[in-house]
Amino acid sequence: MSPDWIVHIVDDDDAIRDSLAFMLESSGHRVRAYPSADHFLEQTDAPEHGWIVTDVRMPGKSGLDLLRTLRARGLTLPVILMTGHGDVPLAVEAMKAGAIDFLEKPFDAGRLLAALKTSRESLTLGDERAAEKVETARRIATLSGREMDVLEGLFAGHANKAIAFDLGISARTVEIYRANVMTKMKASSLSELVRMVVVSRT
Amino acid sequence: MNALPEPSAPLAHRLSPWRIPWAIEANAPAAFAVSIAAAVAAFVVLSVLPPAIGTSVTFLLLVPSVLVGAALGGLWPGLVATAFGVIASIALGSRAPGIGGIVETGLFAALGVGIALVGDRLFRTDATARAFNETILQREAHLQSILDTVPDAMVVIDAKGIVQSFSAAASRLFRRAPADMIGRNVSCLMPAPYRDAHDGYIERYLKTGEKRVIGQGRIAVGERADGSTFPMELSVGEVRVHHSHYFTGFVRDLTERQATHARLQELQSELVHTSRITAMGELASALAHELNQPLSAITNYLRGAERLLEGPEPDVERLRDPVSKAAAQALRAGDVIRRLRDFVATGENERHVESLSKVIEESLALALVGVKSSDVRVQKERGYAADLVFADKVQIQQVLLNLIRNAFEAMAGAPRRELTISTHTGDNGEALVRVADTGPGIGPALAERLFEPFMTTKRTGMGVGLSICRTIIDAHGGRIWIEDTPGGGATFAFTIPAGVSDES
Repeated sequence: MSPDWIVHIVDDDDAIRDSLAFMLESSGHRVRAYPSADHFLEQTDAPEHGWIVTDVRMPGKSGLDLLRTLRARGLTLPVILMTGHGDVPLAVEAMKAGAIDFLEKPFDAGRLLAALKTSRESLTLGDERAAEKVETARRIATLSGREMDVLEGLFAGHANKAIAFDLGISARTVEIYRANVMTKMKASSLSELVRMVVVSRT
Repeated sequence: MNALPEPSAPLAHRLSPWRIPWAIEANAPAAFAVSIAAAVAAFVVLSVLPPAIGTSVTFLLLVPSVLVGAALGGLWPGLVATAFGVIASIALGSRAPGIGGIVETGLFAALGVGIALVGDRLFRTDATARAFNETILQREAHLQSILDTVPDAMVVIDAKGIVQSFSAAASRLFRRAPADMIGRNVSCLMPAPYRDAHDGYIERYLKTGEKRVIGQGRIAVGERADGSTFPMELSVGEVRVHHSHYFTGFVRDLTERQATHARLQELQSELVHTSRITAMGELASALAHELNQPLSAITNYLRGAERLLEGPEPDVERLRDPVSKAAAQALRAGDVIRRLRDFVATGENERHVESLSKVIEESLALALVGVKSSDVRVQKERGYAADLVFADKVQIQQVLLNLIRNAFEAMAGAPRRELTISTHTGDNGEALVRVADTGPGIGPALAERLFEPFMTTKRTGMGVGLSICRTIIDAHGGRIWIEDTPGGGATFAFTIPAGVSDES
């Protein structure tokens, strides 16, 4: 990995910061950790390279606030959000605000490392977004009406059960539609699916 | 404004029978004047009439003056009028002399004194009655002013439950005009399960004399004119006047007094406790977050360690720290779970001998808050004669509250909505409670898993309510299970140990 790229970890939980730093370092990344969004914003004068891996729910500025602050300052660092259980609607909002990925805790190291890698590559690839947009639109066109309903429900940040309730079908059926949607959209995770839809609609 | 009425001593004084009324009453001068005027008028009439008319008519005409004097002024004016009559008859006697005249004059005098005495009695009875009346009016005004200012609503009913009096506060509280309420059955102030049963309560009390509310007070549910319900504290007193029975109910609105009243604070803390089940939803989410933190950290440490081990010559020293940290995080996760367990079981042993019917009553009152009584018909059947159970009242209320709320939710779209809470004696003498609804019921497949944590059929439920119910009932040494309601619906049944009264 390029030594000039640093992973900035922002999390109020000591154990998360420490363990994440250890994991990333043992994977060859350079790491800096901050206990809050404000610490990060104060101590870093306009970092141009690197990623930000931040918790969504923190005392003071949330991960989402941090993302918006950075975008408002014109900083385009890729931001990966980590969420706890039940934060899915918030994470969807974050994706719409420009986060590159969100990971539900606990997540496997491989997921985070892959996200770091992809985001860096997509940055260098530049025009990929436009191509992706076309491809996503093509995939969405293959969805059936019900699959589309389920996709909208997921995109709105609803849990399976809530979607089942709204559509008047069983949660088990929603699971099947959801699996179909994931396959047709070639999405490996919910976050990837949400990111695709966000990209296709911007 | 409303001065206290005179103490009752003067009244008794006035009442004493046949007191020799030597005192001259205040209005005597007028009475003298009127009676003498009447006598003079009679005298004038008599002197004009021909003497042949006779002495009987003379006295007949003089009697009214004595009557008037006695009735208006008591004894003295009556006597004076009599004396005047005697003088007049003597004066007129010159026109019709004779023994007969003298005898008649004597008789008249005696009659006059008699009339004066009777008239005096009449006069005094009238005065007493008027004074009585005035005192009563004064007292009533006084009482009314108290009733108008007492903050608690007051409702007086007779033995048939018919409202006799309805205070201003009651009118405000129940949003019903006193005029509408007086003469109506008081049961219209309570929601359905009580409404139909109230006449029975009074009847039972009158028959058995067993007091369930009278003199003790309890928490109940009231219903306003618009059908909304509210929790209230009810105290009932009784009054017996001759053979009629009246009951006075004082009602305190518990929803309005939350901040100030000490009893309320107590209730509120119970409420907070009881509403934990609702809080569980939020808690579960916070808990998941808290559990995710150590689990994430463990994953990170171990994945990092794994990567180090994948290297050609793993630095074992570098591994020591993250591995021990991962272990510490696993313990942290255990702490989180322990905290959840403590939250569910309050820890301290709060079990006492409690009245099961009262526990049910109060849970129902809490569960009915905000529920329109017209929505669901609630029935109670009491088949557990001993009534006493050994339990943590608040925890059992928590179970009941949860089951009742579940039943309400289950019946939301059902054509027939009836909740039946019944008590029975179990096989080993323990108390058995059934909460039966007429909702869609629960399929056998689901019934088996229903008490498992995080199992739910609701859109927003967390699936913790019933698992907590089971934890509580288990902790009490009881059992909880599900049955079908005859005719459709679900019935939750649980047992709790019988209570032995403190004395034995």
